[in-house]
Amino acid sequence: MTLDIPPNGFRDDKSEPSGFDVDYCRDLAKVLGVEPEIVETQLPDRIPAIMSNRADIAVASTSDTLERAKTIGFSIPYFAYKQVVLTRKDTGITSYEGIKGHKTGAVAGTFEGLQWEADVKKLNDPNTTFRAYQSQADVILALSQGQIDATPVISTMTNELIKSGKYPDLVVAGDTPYVPDYVALVTLRSEQGLINYMDLFINQQVRTGRYAELYKKWIGEGDVVDLTVKGVYR
Amino acid sequence: MHYTFHWETAFKAMPQLLWGAATTLEIAALSMIFGIALAIMLALFAQSQNPVLKAIHVTWVEIARNTPALFQVYMVYFGLGSLGLRLDSFPSLVAGVTFNNAGYLAEAFRGGLHAIPETQVRAARSLGMTAPQVFISIVLPQLFRIVFYPITNQIVWAILMTSLGVVVGLTDDLMGVTQQLNVVTFRTFEYFTIAAVLYYLLAKSVTVTARLMAGRLFRY
Repeated sequence: MTLDIPPNGFRDDKSEPSGFDVDYCRDLAKVLGVEPEIVETQLPDRIPAIMSNRADIAVASTSDTLERAKTIGFSIPYFAYKQVVLTRKDTGITSYEGIKGHKTGAVAGTFEGLQWEADVKKLNDPNTTFRAYQSQADVILALSQGQIDATPVISTMTNELIKSGKYPDLVVAGDTPYVPDYVALVTLRSEQGLINYMDLFINQQVRTGRYAELYKKWIGEGDVVDLTVKGVYR
Repeated sequence: MHYTFHWETAFKAMPQLLWGAATTLEIAALSMIFGIALAIMLALFAQSQNPVLKAIHVTWVEIARNTPALFQVYMVYFGLGSLGLRLDSFPSLVAGVTFNNAGYLAEAFRGGLHAIPETQVRAARSLGMTAPQVFISIVLPQLFRIVFYPITNQIVWAILMTSLGVVVGLTDDLMGVTQQLNVVTFRTFEYFTIAAVLYYLLAKSVTVTARLMAGRLFRY
């Protein structure tokens, strides 16, 4: 689990793991009939943790990219994010195109980080730099200190950051032009039986209304994010 | 084991890794040059009568030797950043490793200066040499021989410490390049093994060169 991405994964006042992903993890453990042992990892370490057997399943909002699917096994999506540009009030960035000429950064190896870095490289502008950090917390810290001026973040997290009031300078500067970020549960590629079980679990979470219930609890009011892609079978 | 090795993908990235190793050497070299200069300064501070200079020496050495190097690099980048003093990743790493080097080497230099008999300095002064002349012609050559191996040790340590650049967003040194390749392809074992071999070769070449140099320089 990754616990520096509120409201999906974070630590509450008593330092207990909390969030949408944590509740999903507990639900899965309950139906499997086991006690969940939460192994906390930073974002770049989720898949290495599975590969090295430190964890069996990753419930950590892992985007289901094809590159990653060569190494590990993904379930069907259990959540989908929108990526937005997070910046400070004093940078003057108001849209995705505005990042030109600024220092930027993201978490190494993430879905949004890789796309952002590719776009920065395409700009080919010596003033537009990109730094890859090893955790989401470090990226937010760097942004608030001015080491970077903009970073891509999931919209649910930016809402939480701004709502918490701990970062009064941060502001969202528009959407990124990326496709919706579907995230899935992760396990070893060879565990086909477990992947099928997780697919059914995710299906049932939506069917029984638990998905909507947890969505309302952690994300808030509004329509739940549609986990299907129209026009394709799965 | 659920891991299938794909060494070909890792070997294809050799040019990138070698460039990373070159950057690592650059960072280590810079941090050693500044570190040695600061260490000599701190060693002289320790010997002075001025309480302020003595305090600087003690504080610096205590912090550098008793806290993790990771903490020191992190503090330069994020700690100074929170005070408004923003250093980019590369200067932060060099500054952090320099701080560490200076702390350890100051003690080596201090011990070396103590080991040179005070009588030699007094004799040289009585012959009419000025203090700087004494330092450069009498003290430094003997000091160099005493601190040669501690410096060599510290160079190897500096090379390995440059791997901490990843936590402050540096992706140009060997560990940075390795980690960037790793988070995209997840061929962790292959990339990290090759990186480890490269670090070993860098460190070994330093110690072997040092031993050859010592043979020639300290012949008598």
